[in-house]
Amino acid sequence: MKNLYYVFKKCVGCKTCELSCALAHSQSGELSEALKEIKLSLPRTTVFAATGENYPVSCRHCKEQKCVSACMAKALTRDAATGMVLHDENRCVGCWMCVMVCPYAAIRPNRKIKLPLRCDRCKDKDQPACVKACPTRAILWEEEPEPKK
Amino acid sequence: MSKRIFTGDLATKEMRAIAEDSSIQTIWDRKLKQEPHCGFGTLGICCKNCNLGPCRIDPFGEGAQCGVCGADADVIAARNLLRHIAAGSACHNDHGREIIKTLLLASTGKAPGYKINDAVKLERFAKEYGLETSGKDVNKLAEELAERLFKEYGQQSGELMLTNRAPKKQIDIWRVNNLMPRGIDREVTEALARTNIGVDNDYRSIMMQGMRTALSDGWGGSMIATDLSDILFGSPEPLRAKANLGVLKDDQVNIIVHGHVPILSDAIATASVDPALIQLAKDKGASGINLAGICCTALEVLSRKGVSVAGNFLQQELALITGAVDLMIVDLQCVMPSLPSIASCFHTKVVSTNPRAHFPGSVYIEFHEEKGMEIARNIITMAIENFPKRDKSRVHIPKESRDLVGGFTTEYIFKMLGGNYRSTFSPLNEAIISGRIRGVAGVVGCDNPKLKSGETHITLVKELIRKDVLVVQTGCAATACAKEGLLVPEAAFKYAGKGLQEICAAVGCPPVLHLGPCVDNSRILTACCEMVKEGGIGKSLDELPVAGAAPEWMSEKAIAIGWYFVASGAMVVFGNPYPLHGSHNLTKFVTEEVESVTGGKWAFEPDPIQMAKIIIEHIDKKRQALKLKPMMYP
Amino acid sequence: MKQFVIIGNSAAGIAAAESIRQNDKSSKITIISDEGYAAYCRCLISYYLAGEVSEENVVYRPESFYKENNIELLLNKKALSVDADKNRVTLADKSQIGYDALLIATGASPKFPQGIKGLKNKGVFGLRSLKDAKDISGLLPTVSDSACVLGGGLVGLKAGYALNKRGLKVKVIVKSSQVLSQMLDACAAGLIQSKLEENGIEIVMGADAAQILGDNQVKGIKLDSGKEIACSLVIVGKGVSPNIDIGKEAKLKCAEGILTDNHLQSSVSGIYAAGDVCENIDVSIGKTAVNALWPVAVEQGRIAGANMTGKACLYDGSVGMNSIEFFGLPVISLGVYEIKNDAASLEKLEMFDEKRGIYKKLILKEGVIIGAIMAGDIRNSGLFLSLIRGKVNVAVLKDKLLLENFSYPHIAGMTKEKEQMYV
Repeated sequence: MKNLYYVFKKCVGCKTCELSCALAHSQSGELSEALKEIKLSLPRTTVFAATGENYPVSCRHCKEQKCVSACMAKALTRDAATGMVLHDENRCVGCWMCVMVCPYAAIRPNRKIKLPLRCDRCKDKDQPACVKACPTRAILWEEEPEPKK
Repeated sequence: MSKRIFTGDLATKEMRAIAEDSSIQTIWDRKLKQEPHCGFGTLGICCKNCNLGPCRIDPFGEGAQCGVCGADADVIAARNLLRHIAAGSACHNDHGREIIKTLLLASTGKAPGYKINDAVKLERFAKEYGLETSGKDVNKLAEELAERLFKEYGQQSGELMLTNRAPKKQIDIWRVNNLMPRGIDREVTEALARTNIGVDNDYRSIMMQGMRTALSDGWGGSMIATDLSDILFGSPEPLRAKANLGVLKDDQVNIIVHGHVPILSDAIATASVDPALIQLAKDKGASGINLAGICCTALEVLSRKGVSVAGNFLQQELALITGAVDLMIVDLQCVMPSLPSIASCFHTKVVSTNPRAHFPGSVYIEFHEEKGMEIARNIITMAIENFPKRDKSRVHIPKESRDLVGGFTTEYIFKMLGGNYRSTFSPLNEAIISGRIRGVAGVVGCDNPKLKSGETHITLVKELIRKDVLVVQTGCAATACAKEGLLVPEAAFKYAGKGLQEICAAVGCPPVLHLGPCVDNSRILTACCEMVKEGGIGKSLDELPVAGAAPEWMSEKAIAIGWYFVASGAMVVFGNPYPLHGSHNLTKFVTEEVESVTGGKWAFEPDPIQMAKIIIEHIDKKRQALKLKPMMYP
Repeated sequence: MKQFVIIGNSAAGIAAAESIRQNDKSSKITIISDEGYAAYCRCLISYYLAGEVSEENVVYRPESFYKENNIELLLNKKALSVDADKNRVTLADKSQIGYDALLIATGASPKFPQGIKGLKNKGVFGLRSLKDAKDISGLLPTVSDSACVLGGGLVGLKAGYALNKRGLKVKVIVKSSQVLSQMLDACAAGLIQSKLEENGIEIVMGADAAQILGDNQVKGIKLDSGKEIACSLVIVGKGVSPNIDIGKEAKLKCAEGILTDNHLQSSVSGIYAAGDVCENIDVSIGKTAVNALWPVAVEQGRIAGANMTGKACLYDGSVGMNSIEFFGLPVISLGVYEIKNDAASLEKLEMFDEKRGIYKKLILKEGVIIGAIMAGDIRNSGLFLSLIRGKVNVAVLKDKLLLENFSYPHIAGMTKEKEQMYV
């Protein structure tokens, strides 16, 4: 199973990944138009500065899946085949339980449309948009490493 | 809220806490929101000059190494730097243009609020421009001078007249390397033309134009602005005043002048002591009118009229948050666009005045020299009438303010060292030669929230004077040190090394000399010329044991100033690195190679103690080359 | 072949059944429910009442789920007693079911305060079950347009919100000096209150109902001040109490809920408890507590289920927390949310930006976060929860915790999270 990993030493904090993420999830797919959309597409990945380095943060689709357990509306489910956490917008009531329990703070509450935003690894495309967009190739799209024993 | 260490200045800390409590966003909050700053911008390797892009270079070498047009990191970073220099120079040159205009209007009787204040200096200056002065009416001479200066702005070839102030060897360096500025406006224009897509694509050549452009500022626009301001508004002489937000008064009409050009602030300062207006203020319940300044316009009226300084760049928002400012007048440069919205939280009025600089949310009263005094009086009246609207329950003035001595000039240094009858630079040169004073350092520039605001200046200056380096200052850097009490003669005994202490005691001057606003960095150039002329410490400016620093620089003007010093042979240390480190070659050029051209160079060091070390090493290197005596009190 | 019996068909019961099935493909699983539906999202019933969620979306596990997982579901059956010696559950219809391991996940019931007359009147409801919501909803067309809610807790406010959305004039009667006194401090509660009031919900503070007026049908309420308020619908949201009767009857050790050990087993071997009926250690206060909360119930169910199959699984306690949003203002509360007068050793970090409607507060004990309130900006709540659970000393981060750009990278490696993000 592939996941996103960040070579933080290479991250220059340009936030191109944020832009490309928002764009990839927008209706129009075009930067200037996307900014006008009513259901504004917000980035699901965010670059933070900490301890003098830059770190993108995105959903890990973790094994523990605290968010899936916490979801009282069954909007979040785990897809057995891909190991990904799926989000059903129709069922979601925007209670923010998932935000409350995410230990990476990787779920972004989009308060305007009352929906949590999380990385979906651009599941309909061949690779996540941010991987392609990163100008310093700081984002890796790779098989998960074997769990450490 | 939090105990973040962002400044050592107590008044700033106090007001910032109040801003946070009142949910007013200030520069520090906005800075936080910008983090992380884009790495490409920070490295200087993004280019937006044409619509092939925007382009950027992958600093890790894996992705794009050229923009769409083919420009590599060196070209992109150099073009960006040249544009910065051009913009900074344009600011100073335009400032100079305004002063010439005022001189012209005053001399032709069209601006009755202004007159020639220093006729001696006018005559001396006019002679430098080759004008016939003998027997000529002062106003006639001023008019001729103004016309002549305007011509220099539009001059297409030849040399700028004031470069003749430089030592012969210096002039030769400029001529040989094709660095001599040909006209004031011409260099900025050419700089912009060169940075267009597909024009100058050699980073070395781009940087040579960078230096020529900067020289058109230092030895052109800025120097003209300084000298004409002295002629019009009077040559400063040392005087005491105070600095920091504590200069605001809770029982008086508080007016702040903020910006850079002295034309309006001088009129305001004159009008603010008008008995009729003071009576009006009293009628409105105030005990008087309190004028204070922020940024460089403050330093213009400080050095000539003793008006106190409310704060430097970073304190402009905080001044409004005291709730005690009845009116703030702004002209241009370094005026934060956030001011009107912060003022709107209080009764405070922000009045913008310059047709070049509009601030939505402010009251716009266009300034014209022809009606200078009338406009000044109107604005002060507006402030007085606003005084009763002040909500006393929201007034919070920090108590901090410190004494400072301001108003030093190159001319005054002569007098100070030698007295009225035998004025001379010789004691300074002697002190350097004998090893009492190590050398001279200019510590100038802005203050910046990226560093522990103000602290860098203070730490650096204390370290320098401890090592017997005489420090000269301008701009917000000077205000930062004034707030720490470094700009008074007493500071010598507290902080200066023994050699410098002896000189300060003998002359009665502070160990740190305040030369005025940032446009008056030109005074440092002329002082350096006088040192060479006096003899014994070098034949061109680069041989002098001097250095410069802009520890917390942020404005493009600081870059222009930095480069007119580098082009004039000085080593200049910047605190925050200038965004060029994405280009290895350009970095090497500005920090090493350029030294073989002008003798000056650029260095970057954010830590003030290390910065002092770099400066001292440089000065010692120059002392060694001059075979000066070892330091008397090492 | 074993026989697993689960009493309760909500979050904890379902999680336990799934967990058992994951570990044991063949044994028999029986779920006993006193309700008439397959599992539904109990927390959504107020959204359902508000008309924001369809009945279809309230379904948590459809009937097919039980079939697919070979789970026997007994609906409308109330478990009356447990014979711990004989490993048997007796139902209200006298039938008996034997078990090898039993999970009590009976949840909680609304408290109807004693001493208020007229609580039996038509038009008085709790809001705990889908049936409650349907009954209230069914009544709405026939009642006048005003309703009273007793209690300013979570259920009370959610009920008030739902009825407001349905177009009713709602008055919430709150006994204490603030709303949500069980999860928020006065500042955050004030933000919520203004939000509710801005949107037309009236909060009557410092008052309690003394009597429900009307002979058979509700006509209004009389407050303890003597003031009368006319209304034809009353919802009682005075908190819930765990359904521990069956546990008490079986002589299980109980406090507020059924006390359980670190395997979620009760004082009697083979009998487990999970969900709103279960009492276990609360990490933030260091004492046992009932944390009646969906995510806690699911986690407890999952762990209890695993333990029932013999797969030893440790439970490390819960943190009292909750997340709510009213009219666009999200608020999350974690652990200890207020420093009481007696706690001198506690430290408070807070920021309040009135203009942007953001309030954040952390409570620290000896450098460790034990509680948090996030209002208006909830993004980092999960980090704080993780720090609370991990008992991480954050003294070095104190000045950064409440900054807007505080983020996971600041604490990477300090908490127990295992997922890799950076190389």
